Amino acid sequence: MSGFEATRPIPGTGSTGPGTGLAPPEWGGFDPARTRGRAGDVLRSFKTSTRLGWQMEANWTDPLLFFIYSVAKPVSSALILVFMLGVIGGGGNPEYRAFVVIGSALWSFVLSGISGLAWSVLDDRERYRMLKYVYVSPSDFLIVLLGRGVARVAVGGMGALITLGVGVAVLGVPFDIGAVNWPLFAIVMILGLVSIIAIGVMLAAICLQTRQESWSYPEAVGGSLFLVSGAIFPILVLPSVVQAIGMLTPLSWWIEGVRQSLFPGGISSIGGTGSLFETLTGEAVPNPAQIVLALLAAGTVTTLLSIAVFRASDRRAKDRGLLDQTTGS
Amino acid sequence: MSTAFVYRATASPQEAAVWTRRQIVMTDLRTIVGRAYPRVRGMAREKSWVFFEVLLPFLATSAFVFVYRALQAPPEYIGFVVLGGAMTAFWLNVIWMMAQQLWWEKSQGNLELYFAAPMNIMSVLFGMAFGGFIMASTRAAAVLVVATVVYQVAFAIDQWVLLLAVFFLTLAALYGLGMVLASLFLMWGREAWHLTQLLVEPVYFVSGLNFPVARLGMLGSLAIAILPLAVGLDAMRQLAFADAAYPLGTPGPAVEALILVAMTVVFTLLARWTLRTLERRARQEGRLSVRWQ
Repeated sequence: MSGFEATRPIPGTGSTGPGTGLAPPEWGGFDPARTRGRAGDVLRSFKTSTRLGWQMEANWTDPLLFFIYSVAKPVSSALILVFMLGVIGGGGNPEYRAFVVIGSALWSFVLSGISGLAWSVLDDRERYRMLKYVYVSPSDFLIVLLGRGVARVAVGGMGALITLGVGVAVLGVPFDIGAVNWPLFAIVMILGLVSIIAIGVMLAAICLQTRQESWSYPEAVGGSLFLVSGAIFPILVLPSVVQAIGMLTPLSWWIEGVRQSLFPGGISSIGGTGSLFETLTGEAVPNPAQIVLALLAAGTVTTLLSIAVFRASDRRAKDRGLLDQTTGS
Repeated sequence: MSTAFVYRATASPQEAAVWTRRQIVMTDLRTIVGRAYPRVRGMAREKSWVFFEVLLPFLATSAFVFVYRALQAPPEYIGFVVLGGAMTAFWLNVIWMMAQQLWWEKSQGNLELYFAAPMNIMSVLFGMAFGGFIMASTRAAAVLVVATVVYQVAFAIDQWVLLLAVFFLTLAALYGLGMVLASLFLMWGREAWHLTQLLVEPVYFVSGLNFPVARLGMLGSLAIAILPLAVGLDAMRQLAFADAAYPLGTPGPAVEALILVAMTVVFTLLARWTLRTLERRARQEGRLSVRWQ
């Protein structure tokens, strides 16, 4: 008899298999079916880790301070760029102001998304020293990480939303709610969110291998993607090779999609006269279908790659005993 | 072993506990070296920092260079960004590896060992600062050199001595501020971690990291009065781009150097006072060994 057969009630014996309780199988052996979670278990793990992540993010202070903390970073980032425009005299162009405010707001979302997962690994390994216990729990480690990351994504989303609000209300960003392309916005937001989380998973996998000082790595990675994603300037000012790299990242298409959906007819971060996009397609600005297709393709590749990197890192961490390593300096 | 630490027979434990001046100084110096050691040595042990802390920050700095290029800004503004990008290495080091460090040590269970050891805790802070300075210098130098070459930044320096003095005074004041924050964070729990994050972008903004701080008006003046990064960057920009049309509204570099001297003295004394006061309070409230709160 194999272990798989033992998971069901054993006919004629009056006893049940382990599916109904914690008792060992009738035949006394190891039952591999008990180690696999069902969809309900996965959902429960995700919900619990999301709740834990939110508590860790939000319950350290009162709501007012938490609100200030959540919006101070993205609003400051936007203000740095707005002052840079003002210094040079570009602040008078509301289109360019809208361009940098949107890019900056979206980038806070990206930073929260990619840092949330990486910091979960570092938090649990270096600070709370719980990573090994979380790892050996019945929950899937990746699901726990995703749940923990969701809380930071939520905080980042709130910051992005308020930055946009400040941009419209205070910084003079022109916004017409009637002109918003909602279907495009919904599609690119979903695809973009998946891509951001995929990059976060990849970074969490890297942090599983590196040392305590990896706290600043998400910001460093975010900073480098900032250069090629067209977040704060059109990528046509970059050399063609770097433009090509930018067009391979899902973040570039996500930002372009959000810009086109919220501010139709604004400055394009990917297209423009003399851009690589124009050279390749003959069109000056990507249309919504091209944006969605490119985002889907780049997002799929990124997601598959992140899963592969995570699995490889997971194996190496177990092999080298990195799960309970603390590396303070 | 130094002769200061050679065993000497004493009549009582009380007599053994009475250290000579030399023993105290030697212990404090050893503490500084010992605390700096893992930071300096760690650079050779874990190489990933070269990629994550040199190459990637250079790319982040480049993003702001391209903003100015897209706006067709005068070339000195690209130099302002490069200088600001290099100085961020020190600021990040101060907040992540100075301000947070004692709280970190508390979370890891090392803090009570520090306080139980026969050394001045200020020596630990100096050691952290020295090791952190070496770590951050490599990143700052790499960003400065690479960005200067790649973006062809042309410095125009008339007063080398004053520039170097301002640079080192900025670091002294920055790490002094780091020591004050480290002492404050001794009392805090998780809020220390979150407040550290709050000290990144908002401080970059009020310090005028990518633009002359004079543009911020009163806010800029306030930043110059209390933030070493703001006053140091402003002075270094004035000295490194002497031929640039620099916006008026901030003091000259010599005055800003004096502000930095004052900041260094005040922050160091303040760190000593806060460390003593908060250590006493933390002992009274039993917070020195409270972890993961």
